[in-house]
Amino acid sequence: MTLLLLFLVLFFLLIAGAPIAVALGVSSLVFILIDGLPPVVVLHNMVNGINSFPLIAVPFFIMAGNLMNTAGITTRIFAFASAAMGWMHGGLGHVNVGASVIFAGMSGAAVADAGGLGNIEIKAMRDAGYDVDFSVGITAASSTIGPIIPPSLPLVVYGVVADTSIGKLFAAGLIPGLIMALSLMAMVAFFAKIRNYPRDERFILRNFLYTFWHAILPLFTPMIIVGGILFGIFTPTEAAIAAVAYSMFLGIVVYRTLDLKRILRVSMDTVDITASIMMIVAASAIFAWILTAEQVAQHFASGLLSFTDNKTAVLLIIMLVVLVVGCFMETIAAITILTPVLLPVAVSLGVDPVHFGIILILNLMIGLLTPPVGLVLYVLSRVSGVPFERCVIATAPFLIPLVGVLLLLTFIPELSMWLPNRLYPGPGGN
Amino acid sequence: MTNPKSESGRANGAPPTIEFTDPEVNIDDFRYSDLPGLLALWLLAAIVFLQFFTRYVLNDSLAWTEEIARYVLIIVAYFGAISVTRRGTHIFLEFFYRYLPPKFGKFLAVAMEALSTGFYAYLSYLAVILALKTRTKMASIEIPKSLLYWGVAAALAAMAAFSLYWLIRKIKQTPEDLLREMAEHSVPANSD
Repeated sequence: MTLLLLFLVLFFLLIAGAPIAVALGVSSLVFILIDGLPPVVVLHNMVNGINSFPLIAVPFFIMAGNLMNTAGITTRIFAFASAAMGWMHGGLGHVNVGASVIFAGMSGAAVADAGGLGNIEIKAMRDAGYDVDFSVGITAASSTIGPIIPPSLPLVVYGVVADTSIGKLFAAGLIPGLIMALSLMAMVAFFAKIRNYPRDERFILRNFLYTFWHAILPLFTPMIIVGGILFGIFTPTEAAIAAVAYSMFLGIVVYRTLDLKRILRVSMDTVDITASIMMIVAASAIFAWILTAEQVAQHFASGLLSFTDNKTAVLLIIMLVVLVVGCFMETIAAITILTPVLLPVAVSLGVDPVHFGIILILNLMIGLLTPPVGLVLYVLSRVSGVPFERCVIATAPFLIPLVGVLLLLTFIPELSMWLPNRLYPGPGGN
Repeated sequence: MTNPKSESGRANGAPPTIEFTDPEVNIDDFRYSDLPGLLALWLLAAIVFLQFFTRYVLNDSLAWTEEIARYVLIIVAYFGAISVTRRGTHIFLEFFYRYLPPKFGKFLAVAMEALSTGFYAYLSYLAVILALKTRTKMASIEIPKSLLYWGVAAALAAMAAFSLYWLIRKIKQTPEDLLREMAEHSVPANSD
């Protein structure tokens, strides 16, 4: 009964526009006061919920992405992708996906992709005469590749909550991320055909080499991060600080595009974003603590399994729950709250926690593209000047390939598990 | 990026014109209350880099760095939250406000700000209690662990103060101004 109250208070406060961290904290506090527990556990959980070494990667992956946007590195990558892929029909659509894949190997956040790269992409597509709906749609959809291809903030948070190897999770995301890219490119090709989009430019080897030369040093970044983590040279936290150090080196020494003012700007943004995310993780920690104490996972599991124990049916129901919650909740909060409830059910059916992490995150990324909490859409609406409602409609067709990939990944675990099983043989891994 | 204006006039095969630096950055929104969070972030970067460096270059990682780094991360989160509260950019759902009459929207926004102010103030009080009760030292170096809770208490008190400032401002604003400002603050720079 009090548990029902916990959820009712939470949803009321969320809808009423309280900060998400406050909504989670206040609803937990109400529950704890009614249950007669000492209120100091709220603060204790809100401090110790973020007392975790892997979470230290969060500010530095954010900082690396911001540094690359501010130092003009993102622009170099877009120029390179443009010279490499612009010759296809609907060229800039493909360029958009390709640049997102490269950027995904450097940044851990879909919204960083939408805000930095998205800005450049939408402007370039508008200047080249693409209709704005197509530009917004493909930019929004391709930005969700970011958190699937390592590094990834949501996967770090999931790894901490699920107590699963982050190295394995990162390895598991690589192939699914590339499948997402291919599915979106197929969608672009389809639109290019029915709308008869032009080729944007011919393939010119000189342009290709010129832009490649200007992008070659930034292109090492995904290799350092992804390769370093996958082959066990770096922990994710070390990879994050290495990425910061490398992009500082590029910005200050090589390209001389970073001055003190820009570094201060990047630091301010990093502190803001880190604190916003960490407050949500902290407040989710007390909320998840209550769910664990109340054995919500056990009740959910027995309720669901008494209904059906068919693995396919249960996985479909779980994915549907995540999809609905993902539409209404911010990603990080959804991960911290859903994982303790849903993961035990999935594991009891023989789903690997690493595989579950990938499909959970992809599912929540789709939630970033749907109202009411579609953060990517809000960001794109701001950078493109297209009204929010129109962004929703423009992005809708691209949900089809993404949901298709989600189903594919859900029911073919090998797509996620092949690489981590190769890299980390034996139980436990990194 | 390729400059579209010069595209038509460009000879085939000429290298694209690429403008690599971003336009001027703006740091006008910097305030001294951002300093604690910034210093904590740079301290954390220094500690993590030091650990990284000692492990790879000196082949002997410093034992205290991991524990201290975890505590400094907590400090970054809470000190940084002061800046977030001052800017009024905590992540929240603005969506339903689009469909509310402005007067009711203002009532709800003021109520939520009041709730936030009270919540931060109460948490700050809890942090003081926890700090007074904590007598242990950190595991790796001789620093009392209560220092961490004092830091958190101070940050939460500052958040309560800035939230109170927003509360008064929101009460004074017309519903239309308030809702316009909320829409502007609803998009965080980035989250996940």
